[in-house]
Amino acid sequence: MNPQMKKTGSLLLSLTLLGTVLAACGGNSDNNGNSQASPSGSPSSSGSASPSAGGDAAKPDTSKKVELVWYLLGDASSESAKVNAEFNKLLEKDLNTTVKFNFTTWNDWQTKYNLLLASGEKIDMLFASTWADYYKFANQGAFLPLDDLLPKYAPETWNKVPQQDWTEATVKGKIYAVPATYPEYTPDGLVYREDWRQELNLPEIKDLDTLEAYLDGVKKAKPDVTPINGKAWNEAYTLFKSYSGYEQIGGDSGVVVAKSYDAPRDIVAYPFTDEFEAWVKRMKTWADKGFWTSDSLASQKEAGDAIKVGTGAVYWRNAPGAGGYITDMEKNKPDIKMGYFPFTRFHNYAMPTLSVNNAMAIPKSAPNPERTLMVLDKLRNDPKYYDLLTYGIEGTHYSIADDGKSIVKPPKGMEGKKDFKGYDIASWGWRIESMSREKQAAGWTGFDALLAEFKAESKPNIFSPVLLDYAPVKSQQAAVNQVFEQYGKPLMMGLVKDPDKSLATFRDQLKKAGVDKIVDYIKTEASKYYDEKGIQ
Amino acid sequence: MKIKTEKSTVAFNVLGFAVMTLLTLACLLPFWVIVSGSFTSELEIIEDGFKLWPDRLSVEAYQAAFSNPAQIFRAYEVTIALTVAGTVIGLFVTSMAGFVLSRKDFKLRNGLAFFIYFTTLFSGGLIPWYIMIVKYLGWKDSYLSLLVPSLLGAFNIILMKNFMRSIPESIPESAKIDGAGEFRIYWRLILPLSTPGLATIGLFMALSYWNDWFHANLFITSEDKYPLQFLLYKILASAAVLKTNVAANLSADMKPPAETLKMAASVIVTGPIVFLYPFVQRYFVKGLTIGAVKG
Repeated sequence: MNPQMKKTGSLLLSLTLLGTVLAACGGNSDNNGNSQASPSGSPSSSGSASPSAGGDAAKPDTSKKVELVWYLLGDASSESAKVNAEFNKLLEKDLNTTVKFNFTTWNDWQTKYNLLLASGEKIDMLFASTWADYYKFANQGAFLPLDDLLPKYAPETWNKVPQQDWTEATVKGKIYAVPATYPEYTPDGLVYREDWRQELNLPEIKDLDTLEAYLDGVKKAKPDVTPINGKAWNEAYTLFKSYSGYEQIGGDSGVVVAKSYDAPRDIVAYPFTDEFEAWVKRMKTWADKGFWTSDSLASQKEAGDAIKVGTGAVYWRNAPGAGGYITDMEKNKPDIKMGYFPFTRFHNYAMPTLSVNNAMAIPKSAPNPERTLMVLDKLRNDPKYYDLLTYGIEGTHYSIADDGKSIVKPPKGMEGKKDFKGYDIASWGWRIESMSREKQAAGWTGFDALLAEFKAESKPNIFSPVLLDYAPVKSQQAAVNQVFEQYGKPLMMGLVKDPDKSLATFRDQLKKAGVDKIVDYIKTEASKYYDEKGIQ
Repeated sequence: MKIKTEKSTVAFNVLGFAVMTLLTLACLLPFWVIVSGSFTSELEIIEDGFKLWPDRLSVEAYQAAFSNPAQIFRAYEVTIALTVAGTVIGLFVTSMAGFVLSRKDFKLRNGLAFFIYFTTLFSGGLIPWYIMIVKYLGWKDSYLSLLVPSLLGAFNIILMKNFMRSIPESIPESAKIDGAGEFRIYWRLILPLSTPGLATIGLFMALSYWNDWFHANLFITSEDKYPLQFLLYKILASAAVLKTNVAANLSADMKPPAETLKMAASVIVTGPIVFLYPFVQRYFVKGLTIGAVKG
């Protein structure tokens, strides 16, 4: 074979490859086009007929077929396509609409979320949440105000959602999201080995002293156990926050807090308080006693994993998270008995999460906000839609339990079968407590009592909705965070030689970093909010 | 004739082999830890950390990664097709660009070169780039968004140009006298003489296509278009999320082992690309000899 032939051959090969790649792309988009176009032909006639036949003037016109794009957080399930198809069948019949669900996946979802909103992509609805910067985006005008649309296109939802929930979703006088109707309490707390407490005859954990007694007892009786084995920062920090009763403002406000729930206007930088001084001295004794390891701040190990293998005793979780952890342990390690101590018991009040902790919002660039609200209204109020999208297809993914309300997974007749594939979706944005067929906290039996306890002592959440963007104090904020990382964290975990000296350095550095400016800034912004809402 | 080996040579060889063996082992060790880690059970790693040889063999990490085998194989297909197509097309356009910029008789080459190099220092940033691809080119969820952006890199063009500049001017000149057109000069003379450069840049490109997850992360929404790296990265991210408080809201069927899964993912993804090196290495050596100009 002569070399020239060879070369021509390789050129041809590369060209064919190029061809196939391009063809593959083209083919695919073609397919998509077809699948969008083909179903629209037949049902659109019936779809357009039904509303006009009703002759109801109030009913919005759905004669035009619309394909919506919804974005949810998290992963698609392997069964998503199947459920989505069923869902679209229902929708097409009732509203002449289909919805394409896209998922952000968990990789870098913040970046992606920012891009989706900043680029003005054609998205009709997406998950919104305080922990996904709902207030920031609403403030920047990334979402569409819904006040005028809601009564017309989502009347049932508009009437059913409590006024307080709408208020919490309001930014600058406009509603920018439809909050889920699913009151949740997510206070911090500690899961701990209850069986060891009983075995060692330690007091029940009720407050900080009994907690210390428990940690001490475990450490002394079991030398190869480190009570908080792994990164213990979350444990120590949330314990401090809850024990002190200091409340963070507008999400995470770092070292600046309101001194207590009853004094929301008393805003200080907590490292300068006497309580903090007493606290770091106490933590020094805790660290010296070996409640956590000296490399805890650098550790990447989860304390919860250590409990599984018997080298740890305590793990920080919020209440529903604790439920998930405990039920998981019950399943995999039935000989370990876990207990839970919620930090709400220090001050005997619990704040529910804001309604917009989980919500659905419409981006400003949405092509079909009206139709998307109609779909959401259906989804939130028609059990047929709600069950299908949230739990999957009955008989395939779940079946209704004997009580007629809760669900069983896998469905009857499928138990233990290999080919059963579960369905799961990040349904947080449209969850409704009264329609939910699953219990909170992964069905943990202890959760009902806890929830009752939280509800009885519930106080409205007045701190989270304060809108802070730190724009005027950006550099101070960065400096203070730096100082906190460097001096604050080791100090608060007792990992310093001399707490008095370290505290002095910490305070000094904070001052230099400009912490006072941040306090002033937060004070002003918080007062504005309190004045507006009439909070004293 | 027998060549006498002196004692000092023998000693040198022994010492040299010993040192090289140790160095090789030191290089292999991390690899081995990854492989053995991927076969260790998750709890053992939490208990004792990584070991050279696991006490309890476990394939749960691979089970988690291959929980949906069709998807993994599909992702392999996507990645391999992208890598091959991307490298071939990319080499073609990069070498053409390099060829043009290396020719002294091209008047605008300085201006053009500046235009290209400028992008290495200044870029529009993520959001404009994203808007460009999604809104103006309409490549959301299209393979083109994975293929096209990495085809031409300024850095690769610089490399290629410098490499081609080392080919004596007299070669294209003489070809021209013999009546060859520019494309023929490029295709029949310059390209074969640039094999080492092509091999180097080709390897860079193949690796960057193989390892690319970022484009898929931004642009791809349907699961059957996920390339391998992104799919594994997604599985890892989901495993990490299951450790946070969010997990209470997710009813995942199976809790994947997060630590060992990382190792298994590395094995799955590095395995095939490792085989690329020996093949390309051949060209490195061969290419160097071809590059010599006679007379």
